[in-house]
Amino acid sequence: MIPTFNLTGDMFLAERLSIKFGKVGPGDIVLLRSPESPRKVMVKRLLGLESHSVTYVVDPMNSDRCDTIVVPKGHVWVEGDNIYNSRDSRQFGPVPYSLLEGRVFCKIWPPKEFGSLMKSGMKDPDL
Amino acid sequence: MATQSLLWNSVKKFLACGLIGLTISDRYASIVPVRGASMSPTFNPQARNFTDDYVLVEKFCLKKYEFSHGDVVVFCSPSNHKEKHIKRIIALPGDWIGTSHNSHDDVLKVPKGHCWVEGDNSASSMDSRSFGPIPLGLVKGRVTHVVWPPQRIGLVERVFPQERVSSFK
Repeated sequence: MIPTFNLTGDMFLAERLSIKFGKVGPGDIVLLRSPESPRKVMVKRLLGLESHSVTYVVDPMNSDRCDTIVVPKGHVWVEGDNIYNSRDSRQFGPVPYSLLEGRVFCKIWPPKEFGSLMKSGMKDPDL
Repeated sequence: MATQSLLWNSVKKFLACGLIGLTISDRYASIVPVRGASMSPTFNPQARNFTDDYVLVEKFCLKKYEFSHGDVVVFCSPSNHKEKHIKRIIALPGDWIGTSHNSHDDVLKVPKGHCWVEGDNSASSMDSRSFGPIPLGLVKGRVTHVVWPPQRIGLVERVFPQERVSSFK
């Protein structure tokens, strides 16, 4: 999730109510349980909700090839901000909405990066 | 006034009990009704009954997400996050499961971190045969006992079709 978060040592606040009431949208940073390893919780950026059409770069280290996918019902598309080194929906596909655990809304450490996180890195979902 | 402090005391006790009950139900165990006949005859064996079966769901399994073949689990539906289903785990990550897709037989490997769930009543059950293997992270608890109706109180057994599953461990 570089550059939004450093490799280690960052702390942030996350809340769970937005997920329960379905108030998350593309551009939000979310916590989700990994579909490959249920004991791990990942932090990724939400890029598409159900029925959104998401365009993504398949393998940015080696080529510029893009692919487009329509997110199925009940699922979401998540990607790390550092697409060169991130294991996300480009590898394991769209994830069910119920795997989302929380929404990150404020970084609290290190102090010079304190504040709410920008919705940068967002791609336009075609509705 | 004495009645006002009595009322306030009752409200405090009610809120305390509510919080404790909610914490226990969230983290340790809860009792849920089973709707539908997809798990007949294990739950709701006769569709004509007016009352649903109630089962005990334990949440201790969510510390390690370690399940066994034949466990009956509660999980969130992959197509609708507001719905929960109760089905049996037939295959765990890395297992090969035999399915019958479009009337020809197929063998599928359950991916890492996923499981294959099926209802005991295969004639009327929406399960992995329609929506594929589900991530283990969707599981919200394991059913251990039937607690209602009284004549069927007892442990929920672990049974599964061993002839359809191969695990190479």
